[in-house]
Amino acid sequence: MKNLLEHTGIEPGRLHFSWISSAESTKFVDVVKKITEEVKALAETKKYVKTSTQG
Amino acid sequence: MSEREPKILSFLCTWCSYGAADLAGVSRMEYPPNIRVIRIPCTGRMSPKFILAGLRQGADAVWVSG
Amino acid sequence: MITFKLNGKTVQGEEGQFIIDVAEKNGVEIPTLCNHKALDPAGMCRICTVELFDGRRTRFVTACNYPIWEGMEVKTDTETVHEGRKIIVEMLLSRCPNVPVIQKMAKDYGIEKSRFKAEDDTCILCGLCVRVCERMGANAIMLTNRGLDLKVDTPFSINTDACIGCGACAFICPTGHITWDKIKENVTTQPGGFIPSEYDMGLKGRKPVYVPYAQAVPNTPAIDRDYCVHFKTGGCKICAEYCGVDAIDHAMEDEIVELNVGSIILTTGFEPFDPSKFDSYGYAKLPNVITSMEFERILSASGPTMGHLARMSDHKEPKKIAWFQCVGSRDLNRCDNSFCSSVCCMYAIKEAVIAKEHSKEPLDCAIFYMDMRTHGKEFERFYNKAQHDGVRFIRSRVHTVEPVPGSDDLSIRYVTEAGEAKTEIFDMIVLSIGLQSSKDNIALAAKLGLDLTAGNFCKTASSFEPVATSKEGIFVCGAFEGPKDIPQSVVESSAAASAAGELLSAARNTLTKKKEIVPEINVVNERPRIGVFVCNCGINIGGVVDVPAVRDYAASLPYVEFVADNMYSCSQDTQDAMTQIIKQKNLNRVVVAACTPKTHEPLFKETLINAGLNKYLFEMANIRNHDSWVHKNNPELATQKAKDLVRMAVAKVGLMQPLKEAELEVNQTALVIGGGISGMNAAKGIAKQGYKTHIIEKSGQLGGQALSIHHTARGENVQDELGRLVSEIEKNENIVVHLNATLQNVEGFVGNFKTTVSKNGGQDTIAHGIAVMATGASEFKPEEYQYGKDPRVITGLELDKKLIENDAALKKISTAVFIQCVGSREPSRPYCSRVCCTHSVLSALELKKKNPDMSVFILYRDMRTYGEREYLYKQAREAGVIFVRYDIENKPDVQIQKGKLLVNVIDHVLGRPMELETDLLVLASAVVPNKDETLAQFFKVPLNEDGFFVEKHAKLGPSEFATDGVFLCGLAHYPKPIDESVAQGRAAASRAITLLAQEKIHTSGEVAKIEPAVCSSCGVCVSICPYSAPSFIPKEARFFPGKAEVNPVLCKGCGLCVASCRSGAIHLMGFDNDQIFSQISVAMEAM
Repeated sequence: MKNLLEHTGIEPGRLHFSWISSAESTKFVDVVKKITEEVKALAETKKYVKTSTQG
Repeated sequence: MSEREPKILSFLCTWCSYGAADLAGVSRMEYPPNIRVIRIPCTGRMSPKFILAGLRQGADAVWVSG
Repeated sequence: MITFKLNGKTVQGEEGQFIIDVAEKNGVEIPTLCNHKALDPAGMCRICTVELFDGRRTRFVTACNYPIWEGMEVKTDTETVHEGRKIIVEMLLSRCPNVPVIQKMAKDYGIEKSRFKAEDDTCILCGLCVRVCERMGANAIMLTNRGLDLKVDTPFSINTDACIGCGACAFICPTGHITWDKIKENVTTQPGGFIPSEYDMGLKGRKPVYVPYAQAVPNTPAIDRDYCVHFKTGGCKICAEYCGVDAIDHAMEDEIVELNVGSIILTTGFEPFDPSKFDSYGYAKLPNVITSMEFERILSASGPTMGHLARMSDHKEPKKIAWFQCVGSRDLNRCDNSFCSSVCCMYAIKEAVIAKEHSKEPLDCAIFYMDMRTHGKEFERFYNKAQHDGVRFIRSRVHTVEPVPGSDDLSIRYVTEAGEAKTEIFDMIVLSIGLQSSKDNIALAAKLGLDLTAGNFCKTASSFEPVATSKEGIFVCGAFEGPKDIPQSVVESSAAASAAGELLSAARNTLTKKKEIVPEINVVNERPRIGVFVCNCGINIGGVVDVPAVRDYAASLPYVEFVADNMYSCSQDTQDAMTQIIKQKNLNRVVVAACTPKTHEPLFKETLINAGLNKYLFEMANIRNHDSWVHKNNPELATQKAKDLVRMAVAKVGLMQPLKEAELEVNQTALVIGGGISGMNAAKGIAKQGYKTHIIEKSGQLGGQALSIHHTARGENVQDELGRLVSEIEKNENIVVHLNATLQNVEGFVGNFKTTVSKNGGQDTIAHGIAVMATGASEFKPEEYQYGKDPRVITGLELDKKLIENDAALKKISTAVFIQCVGSREPSRPYCSRVCCTHSVLSALELKKKNPDMSVFILYRDMRTYGEREYLYKQAREAGVIFVRYDIENKPDVQIQKGKLLVNVIDHVLGRPMELETDLLVLASAVVPNKDETLAQFFKVPLNEDGFFVEKHAKLGPSEFATDGVFLCGLAHYPKPIDESVAQGRAAASRAITLLAQEKIHTSGEVAKIEPAVCSSCGVCVSICPYSAPSFIPKEARFFPGKAEVNPVLCKGCGLCVASCRSGAIHLMGFDNDQIFSQISVAMEAM
């Protein structure tokens, strides 16, 4: 899936997968923090997929 | 808002990560308020279409967690 | 209501409120150091000074204690206000230059250094401590002296017993001037302070008002009378003021409730052994010697170190940790617990492995032990893996622990197996403490008149009644019956439930109340009329999220007809009100924005049912666990997130359709496969509660392995007891026994199985609702040690046969040798067979009884006489049985030379080979499951690598399968002695009855559904489903032959098939594509 997205021009940082058990709240928080940081770093406008499909 | 607040569309398995998110709440942990959670019965329910739809609707990122 | 102006804005407040209260409510922040909501204001610190225009002139007043009045004009943010505050802060800074709060205030006002003479105080004389002390009803401290000498002190500056050591002053002190150490030194004569948290083993403190732990049920705080100040002085009661729903009543008393019951089950558990009295380990005085229970808390993410591996004395990350086994177990010298606690070996290995995982640096873990007892299912594998991963296992009992001078490290001395004395230094030592009966348990037993065992555990009636106490109607399970691990405790608890159920089956459903059924309104094709209820959850949500704003926002969303916010949506009166509103406003969809659906969805669904709506026309927005609780420092974004979540829920609920739950009749018949001890007990348990039960036995006789066992660990004659059980089974009218029978075919699913049995050449079809797998195991036929080549070499059960037959030849034997672990704990069969150590010890004792002069040797690897079976081991040594340990690398060698049977083994004490000439060689051979793959296929239940069935959950579901309606017991689960087999048979019965007793079961409505017209019959769903729910409609069917259909009974609603369906023919009800897409599309709308 990630490869496919990259192919269509979307950064792989925009898709994340993880596995967290229901007892791992600490891990959950860590993953949220990590992903948010990464996505913030990506910055960029986010609507380009939409504009391209609206045509 | 000085800093951009991205929105991350999150698909969480009801038995695993959704429960972890609940527990994080019970434990009063703090994390960035950027995720928007959609509860799914199991990550098996995930379809690539959801990811594409999310990005197309303007999500800055999609997170799938089992 | 008083109306006035605040910073130019018109605001309202109640008569008697102060400026600061109204300002806070309106989001205007006024700084203060001396004000606290619980206490009367005093206007001491002056930082809250604001500008007041009274119509004629401007004055400066302190906002904390100036009452509001009609028409006043208050400004909090003018230049003059800030100038005034700046001077005050500067003066405070000169008095207390080193207090962080004041430093921060000064920095905010741009003051780098005070122009006034710097002093070195930390008290700002705000008087909060004095006021709170008064409120606590203690009045121990006051502001004494005048002018420059003013200070907080006790009368005459001496320690006083008026101070109760509650610590409220230290808690409230804004500058950190008052600390616990100062209170102890200068104020109080009483003890107090730190309240050790029971849950965190005293490694962390807790408050007098507390929830025992995060997952406690009920999750309601309790007030600890022993620590609550109100119960000491009559003061405080601040909590009652703060509580928004008036739930706190300090006048409540304990009450005595009388219950009329038919049976009692004792589950009072154990207490961990207290190692304080072992001076040589220094637990009481060395902070880095801790118990295993304390170490569990250190490893826990919710523990005192948040799961960070650190030692207690200096928070250093340890590099070397040692575990000492058998602390308070198998020990008669230093304590009275001669039994084995059964669980410590395994938990020590687990702790070592987890500690290694948690540690950033490579961690050295050493376990000092006597015998490694990993006799549980999958435990031996874990032990092997731990060895492979570098956990060191040292067979030695450590004598002393000594502190290393100048550090917090610990030095230990021990003797290796080879007899070499060694000294090693560790950062931390974990004492693997044992399980024992508490004083309360012993007192309870005395009160009920129950017999105890030698180890003070509750004595059970017999090995064949493993949960019955010495008194009829009273049952016991778990660690009060004897030290044991979780799976065995769960097995026993189910067994006790079954035993109590047998007694009470006549009374079943006599006390249940019937619920009134509200007819369901048809809402199909109606335009959605959505009601949104936003919950404040007291201050849990309302304290962070702007609930009224979320409510008003919800009203603006499409199809929303009604909105409201509730203080507590889950309270009974709110539920009733919601029911009324749904009816009055004709709502046909409901959204509750509150906590998590995982705990509260069933409750709100019930509300919908009561209002006549289908319960699936509902959605929750989790604005507490996922929002207010985790974003409390970001109320603005939390409110935004709450709006988003509500919008998503509204979008989804609009598309929800009423769902039907399939109702299924449960065939009230049980099928038990296997007629051994556990199978017969399962059948007996089910039949005694009034259900028809079939036993399928492949041999011509009931009894299974028990037929070849002489006596139990408790000395009961197995054949007598077995005979009684068999005749009980044969006499029971509800039980049909099929001997020489095998299964040919199984069709159906939970509630409706159809099984074809062939016996004696004929075939029989049995319809049944549930099935129990009790297929057992048998003794492994050894391939080594000259077995089969000499009649003197026999297996353990073959010896039992001789004992049962009372073979006279046994008396004449002069030497007997037992070899343990034959076929077990080997690479090809890596599990421990659990029963053989105890069995060989028993047989050895029996031989000794027959002929006390006989030389009996037991060659073993680790003696695993767990629990109170340890007494037998001790008894055997006392009777002169000689135990010789061997390693797997140096297995005993058996030779037949000139008719002599010779056993060669390396003596582990002397390290030298030893030759034994014996008349009898008994091989304690492995227990091998009767692995039956066809049967596993029939019932869709899994087998593990060793051929044992895989239960639903290794700890919590040991007697059932993940497949609904199929249960498990006995040796087919794992090797176990008779008492445990009986218990598990009863447990399987108990679990089965929970299904049988329902008569009808409802499936979830949230299942997959296939549109046959769209289905391409590709079969992906059929092959992918982990629950075998989809299948093809038979070719000869009238409608849609060959297409796939989903059996809603088997479907767990995971959605795997939905995602895999290439034709898009499968829909997951309640989580369908359009519903999820609508959530996705509105999730980002506001951006």
